[in-house]
Amino acid sequence: MLVFQQLEVDYTFGAPHPVYYPTDLKEVPVVRMFGVTEAGNSVAAFVHGFEPYFYVDAPSAAFSPDDCQALAAELNALLAGRDKSRNPRQCLRVELARKQTMMYYQPQPSRLFLKIVLSVPTLVTTCKKLFEEGISLKWMGNGKYYRSTTYESNVLYALRFMIDCSVVGGNWVELPAGSYMLVAPQGHQTHCQLEAHLNYSELVSHAPEGEWAKMAPFRILSVDIECQGRKGHFPEPEHDPVIQIASLVTEFGKKQPAVRNIMTLKSCAPITGAEVMSFDDEKALLLRWRDLVLEADPDIIIGYNIVNFDLPYLLNRADTLKIPQFWTWGRLRNRRCRMKDARFSSKAYGTHDFKEISIEGRVQFDLLQAIQRDHKLSSYSLNSVSAHFLGEQKEDVHHSDISKLQDGNAESRRRLAIYCLKDAYLPQRLVDKLMYMYNYVEMARVTGVPMSYLLSRGQSIKVFSQILRKSRTKNLVVPNMKRGGDPNEGVAYEGATVLEPKAGYYDKPVATLDFASLYPSIMMAHNLCYTTLVPKGHENMFPKEHLTISPNGDTFVKSSLATGVLPEILQELLAARKRARKDMGEATDPFLRAVFNGRQMALKVSANSVYGFTGATVGALPCLEISSSVTSFGREMIMETRRRVMEKYNRANGYTHDADVIYGDTDSVMVYFGVDDTAAAMQLGLEAAEEVSKAFIKPIKLEFEKVYNPYLLISKKRYAGLLWTKPEKWDKIDTKGIETVRRDNCLLVRNVVTTCLEKILVERAPGEACDYVKGVISDLLMNKLDLSLLVISKGLTQDADDYENKAAHVELAKKMKKRDLATAPAVGDRVPYVIVKAAKGAKAYEKAEDPIYALRNNLPIDCQHYLDHHLAQPLMRLFEPIMKNPKELLTGAHTRSIMVTTPSVASGGIMKFAQKRLTCLGCRAPLGKSEQTVCKHCKDKEGEVYQRTVLGVNDLEAQFSALWTQCQRCQGSLHQDVLCRSRDCPIFYRRMKVQKELGEAQATLQRFEEW
Amino acid sequence: MMEVEVAGLEAPPQLKGTYDELLAAPASDDAAAPTGTVVRMAASFTPKDNRFLLKNRDYDRQYSQLYYYRLEQMRKHAEEAAQRAWPGIQVVHILSVPEEGEVAIAGTLYKEMALKPSILDEYVKDRTMSQQLGRARFTQPDDRLILEDEGARLALCGDKLPVGECVTGVVAAVRGHVLPNGDFEALDLCYAGLPPQAPLPAVGEDKYVALVSGLGVGDGESSPLRLELLVDYLSGLLGGEQERGQVVGRIARVVVAGGLLKSNADLSQPTAYSSVRQQAAALGPVRDVDMALTELAAAVPLGIMPGAGDPANYTLPQQPLHRCMFPGAAAYSTLHRATNPHEFELDGVTFLGTSGQNVDDVCRYSELEDRVTILEKLLRWRHLAPTAPDTLAAYPYFNNDPFILRSTPHVLFAGGQPQFGTALVEEEAGGAACRVVAVPNFCTTGCVVLVNLATLYCQPIYFDALQD
Repeated sequence: MLVFQQLEVDYTFGAPHPVYYPTDLKEVPVVRMFGVTEAGNSVAAFVHGFEPYFYVDAPSAAFSPDDCQALAAELNALLAGRDKSRNPRQCLRVELARKQTMMYYQPQPSRLFLKIVLSVPTLVTTCKKLFEEGISLKWMGNGKYYRSTTYESNVLYALRFMIDCSVVGGNWVELPAGSYMLVAPQGHQTHCQLEAHLNYSELVSHAPEGEWAKMAPFRILSVDIECQGRKGHFPEPEHDPVIQIASLVTEFGKKQPAVRNIMTLKSCAPITGAEVMSFDDEKALLLRWRDLVLEADPDIIIGYNIVNFDLPYLLNRADTLKIPQFWTWGRLRNRRCRMKDARFSSKAYGTHDFKEISIEGRVQFDLLQAIQRDHKLSSYSLNSVSAHFLGEQKEDVHHSDISKLQDGNAESRRRLAIYCLKDAYLPQRLVDKLMYMYNYVEMARVTGVPMSYLLSRGQSIKVFSQILRKSRTKNLVVPNMKRGGDPNEGVAYEGATVLEPKAGYYDKPVATLDFASLYPSIMMAHNLCYTTLVPKGHENMFPKEHLTISPNGDTFVKSSLATGVLPEILQELLAARKRARKDMGEATDPFLRAVFNGRQMALKVSANSVYGFTGATVGALPCLEISSSVTSFGREMIMETRRRVMEKYNRANGYTHDADVIYGDTDSVMVYFGVDDTAAAMQLGLEAAEEVSKAFIKPIKLEFEKVYNPYLLISKKRYAGLLWTKPEKWDKIDTKGIETVRRDNCLLVRNVVTTCLEKILVERAPGEACDYVKGVISDLLMNKLDLSLLVISKGLTQDADDYENKAAHVELAKKMKKRDLATAPAVGDRVPYVIVKAAKGAKAYEKAEDPIYALRNNLPIDCQHYLDHHLAQPLMRLFEPIMKNPKELLTGAHTRSIMVTTPSVASGGIMKFAQKRLTCLGCRAPLGKSEQTVCKHCKDKEGEVYQRTVLGVNDLEAQFSALWTQCQRCQGSLHQDVLCRSRDCPIFYRRMKVQKELGEAQATLQRFEEW
Repeated sequence: MMEVEVAGLEAPPQLKGTYDELLAAPASDDAAAPTGTVVRMAASFTPKDNRFLLKNRDYDRQYSQLYYYRLEQMRKHAEEAAQRAWPGIQVVHILSVPEEGEVAIAGTLYKEMALKPSILDEYVKDRTMSQQLGRARFTQPDDRLILEDEGARLALCGDKLPVGECVTGVVAAVRGHVLPNGDFEALDLCYAGLPPQAPLPAVGEDKYVALVSGLGVGDGESSPLRLELLVDYLSGLLGGEQERGQVVGRIARVVVAGGLLKSNADLSQPTAYSSVRQQAAALGPVRDVDMALTELAAAVPLGIMPGAGDPANYTLPQQPLHRCMFPGAAAYSTLHRATNPHEFELDGVTFLGTSGQNVDDVCRYSELEDRVTILEKLLRWRHLAPTAPDTLAAYPYFNNDPFILRSTPHVLFAGGQPQFGTALVEEEAGGAACRVVAVPNFCTTGCVVLVNLATLYCQPIYFDALQD
């Protein structure tokens, strides 16, 4: 008996196995399952005999087995020319099957279908087309072309296998004793420790429950590479060598990596706790690394941006160096990885181009992709991600510095190696911290798709997999509908309802009533599904009492006639979620608890994505009747809720106040009960939720969750409030649509808005918030703000010269290229900039400047621009409900004193002609020849003036010291210069600014004569 | 009721005068002499502040050079100490530490502390995180030591390691071996030890140096009367004949170790737009200081060092206070505006002292409580301010570290301490010996410390303004 947790299922073509799939075919698909046993041994199981197939409608109910044979012969004739394999037959057979289609309510339990069984999976699409175009059934004598919708012809072969064998992603499978054959080690095709063959019918799959919820100790390899780029260019594999590769191997569930290895080009001083391997030849380095991968035999390869950078770079570099043997990273001996350009397009995640690399038997998990999907952050650099999740800043070495370190000596390369190792360790720590392995394995288990699909494919494959599994149990087949074409041209349907907000500042409690899992519960309550939808025009065929007509006019049968597949899936998902949450509460083992938590989250996400699946016009099975019915029910429920609340909670019914619904959105309504006390509002909210719930069909349930007090309602989808879930203490500030996390915003806006909200909501001191805003605006105009607050950044997606439109960051990138090739931003970099003052009438894109250049040359910041274009709008929005005249924030006494730095000569312009003269430090009058510090009128105040100057220096010195020592701590070395140029770090610009200002302030101080 | 108490700690005479006696009409024989003139003994004064004076400043540098130079200079002393302490143990660099076997390594210590405040805390959203502000000290049991040399760093572990007493920046040697996880298990640790010392010159008769710190002018809480008493006392306007002749007259020099003003910390962040006016309001006390200093300078040679709250630069070494703030006192040649740290020779006896920031900082970042012990440690570390620049702000020196102790002074003092304390620190086997003195804040303790040049005995004098 061989039991293991499979992590990857795919297939290959091969000769049929003589024992497990005796046939006359020459080339057949072989399913491969890779996984790990509980003892930690890697396993490759070859599963034979699973034949690809799909369904079509039978031309007539009288279609006979003889007809089947004839059809098979016809298909063979048609397919023979299009088959690249050497197989004698393409269509293995045509079988009769009694099934029913999933689409529309079908009163009859089944009808006749044909199951077309083919020799290889690639023929499925070819054959599908034949049926769609029409096929002549000559032997039936009518000479007509037969066209048919195909069913389940868009199911990937590996997924088909998993569905038919009840295998879900990442579950445990068992090869029963006697049913399989182990391969002797010398005969291994793979690098796995165990290798077995069997027929698919013998495979036992364990549902991931009870004891089978466990996880195997699989091996995770975390990789990071460093390359030596040429001056001014981002490293390119055609030119630039790979100089270091750091590899960390961790056994799943262990705290510390088992292997820490760094391979360097040229010598490198030793590093305690890590294995250092140095090479003089880059080829040797790469090949040794490949060996390391094969020795470590990882199941999962992780890293940060490995899919788009590290891995393709290594492969392309090997091509440049002409070492094709480098490409064999997979588990199959002497099989190369494959790489191709791919595009990932999904409604939920947007469109990304990426490199699709297939490494047989190893799952790739790119943290960058995962975090981009699951978290909305203002920046996705490894630095900001680790600052966000791990709470620490990461040193960031610029690629021009990397070259310098590499060209130095063994010790400077050691420094680089430590940096590289750290970068390989961070992804591992992020995986642990964010429980990615648990969550993704559970997601694979719940939705039934292989792990690798989760990152490389969208949401819809997950729902599709569940629908296929469910319909299989109900003897239904899923039609392969024609795609809707361009997603933008898809039929638009009305979205969720938003009640017109009554904007304002509410300083009494506002209760929020939410529909729990609104869309799933609507689908369950009204039995909305493909299988219950009544086609237009057929409504009269069924008695009225068995029908539900949705508010937008679509008709569905009630569960008295048939229960839908989708409601059933949803029911199971929600029931399973309930169970998982219960298990989580009971579990004592932290590992198991993590498993259950991952599962309940996966279940929740899955339940919510079913609705989206029916509305995805480019999806596998769009059905807008369902999705638009769901939203129309939702709209109706929101209106109904408003009506009922306002009808019941008013003075006429003996309540102290008239309740008002001030806002409602999609699945929630905000009720202003008028009471002062948070606890009283909670009581009323609870009561109202229960009361209103009675009006709806189960399982729709209105829930009372929270109270906002105070509540600042700005407009549709924009509000902020102090959230209370228990009457004693507030939980947090909850905002929507306000804190613009968009990263092309400068930090200043975010900080100001956050602080204002804190003052308004927590301290309930709108006046203080006004004062604070005035203070910030004054600081801005007085040039006292930290520059990093003003930095805006945008990504450079292509070479600056290739842009057609003039954009600020592009123009700046061109300018910087002229100044210094080495540090100019390259494609893929983010270009940070500040807006500086420029000649009158200058275009906005001409005003962008490199923050460092602006600092060095004292270029004046265009404060007014920041005020007008960045601060004004969010502030107006925020203060409009609070103040009578919010415009006064932007004008008034605090905006009258302005400090503009004098640009240095280097900045050109008029300063080239200016003559410098000292001015009095007390009154700014020009000084005479003999005077150094103050004019004769200020002479008696010299002490005061000095003291003020020294105080300024004092403050800068304190900052200088605090900033640079922090950077030393962060880089982890006292004796070496700080190299970090992480522009994501909050203190990067401040560090430079202080350094410069301190020098200037000291110069002023030194004007006071000799000690 | 007022009382001036002259309490001897190690000094033989115990004098005690009361208000009435002090203010009694002078005896007839010196009625002719104008009040305030005492015959004052002179001592030859040589300032040695040169290495702490900064002529040209350059801030385009980082701190690594300072550490690099410090390690380069201190390495040989630490290694010598290691060889003396552990004969036969090979001393190696971190990069050549063998996988097995016992070795000694010299390097700079770095203490990893979770509670160490950081400028990044300002950016932490969660405001409660900044709770460590206002803490007296930042140590906790999980603190870890790391040893670093030019090439690499190594995490130290082991129960024998005195983590509590160590601070970042000390150059030390450790003995031990590498563990499989890459940490270094330290069995013992030693410091460079006291530097050599010039012989103590023979000063024939009792002569005193008065050390005072923390006058705290402008502090609304402490009594200005006490400062007046001090000034009058030191100028010889108070006290009986014996007192003035035997004590005050023998005070050859007064050194104010920082803290002229009440700390002006609230002014150090001139960011709010109204702050300019606030700053102007704070200038008043400087005039009061000038008046007090003028009186003193008229009577006795006087050295003033800037301290943490004084109008001088923030980073160590603090440069002398500017003359333009003390138009009165600066007119006297007896006023010496010194750096902090301040080094001088008086009749051949060498003094080295600070206004106390170095000691306070070690206290914050170690578990050492006693200020005298910290002063002793500084000598054993052979460094005046090891925590600079990590947690104690310092100028980014290049190819220099003026805080390295090249020789053991005869007296090492630190101002601004919570209370008076003193000890004689000796290298074993009759080597260097140094009198260390913790000079307390005058405004809170009323204490002035007299150091006898002849014996290096220390004697605190307490001024108290008791009010009914």
